[in-house]
Amino acid sequence: MRRFLALGAAVLLAVSACSVGSNTGGGGDAEITFLTFETPNLTPAYWDAAIKRVTDKNPGIKVKKLVAPTADGRTSYAKQLLQSGQFPDVMIAVDSAGFAEAGNLYAWTPEELKDFQFPQANPVNGKYYQLPANTQTIPPIYYNKKMFADAGIAAPPKTWDELVTDAGKLKDKGYAPFTIGGGKDGFPSSMILSGLVSTEVYNTMPDWLTQRRQDKVKFADPAFQHAFAKLADLAAKGYVDKTSVSRDYAATEQAFLDGQSAMYPMGNWFSANADSKKHDFEVGVFNFPTEDGKLVVPAYTGGGMIVNAKATNLDAARKFALGFQLDKDQLDASVKADGLFPAIKGYTPPPDVGATFKAGYDLYTQAVQQNAVVHAFRWETADDGLLPGMKDKVDQAAQDVITGRKPVADACAFLDTEWAKAG
Amino acid sequence: MGEGGLTSLTAVAAPPAPPSTVVRRRRRRRPVLPRLAHFASFGAPGVLVYLCFVMAPILISFGYSLTNYNPFHPPVKFVGFDNYRLLFTDSQFLTALQVTTILTLIVVIVPNVLGLGVALLLDRKGWLYNALRSVFFTPVILSSVVVSIVWSRLLDDRGPLNSLLRDLGVSHPPGWLSDPDVALYSVASIVCWQMLGFCVVVYLAGLQGVPPELLEAAEIDGAGPLRRFRAVTWPLLAPSLTINTVVLLISAFKTYDYVKVITNGGPGSGATATIAFDVLQTGFDSNHVGYASAMAVLMLVIVALVTTVVLNFLRRREVDL
Repeated sequence: MRRFLALGAAVLLAVSACSVGSNTGGGGDAEITFLTFETPNLTPAYWDAAIKRVTDKNPGIKVKKLVAPTADGRTSYAKQLLQSGQFPDVMIAVDSAGFAEAGNLYAWTPEELKDFQFPQANPVNGKYYQLPANTQTIPPIYYNKKMFADAGIAAPPKTWDELVTDAGKLKDKGYAPFTIGGGKDGFPSSMILSGLVSTEVYNTMPDWLTQRRQDKVKFADPAFQHAFAKLADLAAKGYVDKTSVSRDYAATEQAFLDGQSAMYPMGNWFSANADSKKHDFEVGVFNFPTEDGKLVVPAYTGGGMIVNAKATNLDAARKFALGFQLDKDQLDASVKADGLFPAIKGYTPPPDVGATFKAGYDLYTQAVQQNAVVHAFRWETADDGLLPGMKDKVDQAAQDVITGRKPVADACAFLDTEWAKAG
Repeated sequence: MGEGGLTSLTAVAAPPAPPSTVVRRRRRRRPVLPRLAHFASFGAPGVLVYLCFVMAPILISFGYSLTNYNPFHPPVKFVGFDNYRLLFTDSQFLTALQVTTILTLIVVIVPNVLGLGVALLLDRKGWLYNALRSVFFTPVILSSVVVSIVWSRLLDDRGPLNSLLRDLGVSHPPGWLSDPDVALYSVASIVCWQMLGFCVVVYLAGLQGVPPELLEAAEIDGAGPLRRFRAVTWPLLAPSLTINTVVLLISAFKTYDYVKVITNGGPGSGATATIAFDVLQTGFDSNHVGYASAMAVLMLVIVALVTTVVLNFLRRREVDL
C-alpha cells in the first residue's frame, strides 16, 4: 500500500511539474502564443526565423506559433479562437476592430509608440491598439515590360483613359490585359475596385468611410457607382477575365509570373516575389492611374501586432511585439520577404533590395513628399474602416460585376444592404 | 419428451395457475431499482455526453437566437422572435436556402442512383471486383478539405480538365468554379463523387443480404433479370436506401467545408453559399451570433422535419423476410 501511495505521489509530482512547464515554458520562461499567417512570401521558415531572432534577443520569452488556416481569414480565425477561449497573446496583421471595443486588446501608450512614423494610425475610440508597423501601397499596378513593348506602349499610363487604351492594345496583340483572382482568397478580385474607389472617391472625400459610418453617404451614391462602373467597363470589354474569379491567391500571383497576362494590380508586397521568384520578363510598376492624371497613391499604414489585454504573460507579449516590430534585422527581413515599407522613424531599406521593390518604394516616397497618399479602400481598419464582415462583401460585389451576375447599381445596393445588416 | 409430457410434469409439481398470473408474479419478483441502476450504469455516460454536447448547445443556440448577441457589442438584449422574422425577408438567407435545397436534392439523388448501379455491377466474386470496391470506397476516407483542394485545382479554368477540353478544340470551356450558374453544380458533383463510395458499400451490404433462394425461385417462375430486380432485390434493398438517403440528406444540409475551400461561397454574392456557410460567416465574420443562431436553429428544424418525413416514407417501404 505504501509503495502504491509513493508511486501515486511521484505521478502527481510529475504531472504538476509538466503543467507548470507548459504554462510558462521550460526553465521558467514566459510562454506566449503568437498567431501568424502564411502566404507565398511569408513562409513557415520566415516566421520561424523571425521568432527566433526576437527570442534570441529576449531569452526569457518562449513563443508558441499558431497559423491561421488562410491568409485572408486570419481575423475570422482570431474571432473563433476568442470565442472558444483560446485568444492568442500576440497576433500580427489581424484587424483590431471589434476586439478593441470589447476590451480584448492592450492599448499602446504614447511612449511605446514613439518610434513609429505614424503613431496615430487606426484609432479606435481615441486609443491605439495595433502597432502601425508598416505601410503598404494598395494597389500599384505591376506590368510585364516585354508585353508592353510588344504592344507598342512606350510608357506606363498616367490617366484612366490611357490605361483603358493600353489594355485594348494589349488585347489586340493577344495578351490578357489584367491578372485577377478570387476563390477562397477573395481580395485579388477586388484589387481594381480598391484602386478605383481610393483614387476617385477618396481623392475628393478622404473620410468617405467615416461618413459612411455616419450614414451621410452610401455605396449607391453616384460617386461610388461612377468608380465601380469602370471595373464593369473593363469586364465588359473583356480586359478582365471573369473565369479568374475562382483562382486562389498563390495561383493568381504565379499566373502573372508565368506571363499569362500583362498587368497585375496587387499590394506592394508582391514586389518581394517579383524580385525573387523566377520569371522570364522584366517587371515594372506604376501608380494606379487617376481620371485626370493627378498623383494619388492609396496606402494603408498598420498591419502590425496586437496584444491580448488578458494575456497571462502580458509583459512578455508586449516586449515580444515591440521587439519584433522595431528590430532592424527583422525589418530588413520583412522588406525582403514581403516587400513592406516599415513605418519606423529613421528606417531606410537595406541597399541590396530588389529592383521592383525599389521602384515601388520610390513611387511611395514621391507620394509622401507630395502629400498625395490616401486610404486604400477595403484595407482600412479601426474607426475609419469597413464594418466587420464587409470586406468579403466588397469582394463578392466585385466578382458579381466581373462575372456579369449583377449590374453596378445592384452591386452597390447589395453593399448598402449588407452594411445595414453589419451595423 | 413431447409437449404432453411437459404439461403433466408441471401439473404434478404445482396446481395449475392462469398463465397471466404466473407472468405477473415473475415480474413482481424482480426489484425495479437495481434494474434501473443497471440500465443507468450503461446509459448514463452516453446520455451525459448527448446532453452536454448535443442538447445543451442546441438549447444555448436557441437562447442566443432570441437575442441580439454580438460578442463585440455588449450588452445583450432580448429581441424575441425578431431574428426569425428578419430571416424570411433576408435575401441572402433565402438564396442560401435555395442553394442548400438544390445541393441537397443533387447529393441525395445522384450518389443513390449511381451507387446502386455500381453496387449491382460489383456484386460478384473475384479479385478484380474486390479491388474495384476499394477504388470506389477510397474517396470516402479522404478528408473533405483535401478532396476540395484537389478538385479545385482540377477544375480551375487553366487546370487539367479545361486544358484537355481546349486541346480537344473547345475554345471556351465552362468556368466550372467561376461561372455563377455552373459553380454550384460543380461543388455538388464533388460532394457526390466523395459520397458515391459510401452508397456503394451500403448497397453491396444490402445485396449480400438478399437470399439467393428467393432469386432462384423467381427465376424458376420465369422472371427475367429486370423483373427479379424489381420484385425481389429492390424491396429487400429498402433499408439500404433508407440509410443512404438519410445520411446523404443530413450531410448535404450541413455542407460547409467544400464550399469554404472551393469557392468561399462565391463566385460573387452567394452563388454557392449554403445555410451552414452563411451561419458561420454571419456568426464569425460579421459577429452577429444571435442572428446566426436563429439561422442554425431554423436549419435544425428544417433538417429534422425533412428527415422525419423521408424516414417515415422510406421505413414504410421496408419489408421483413
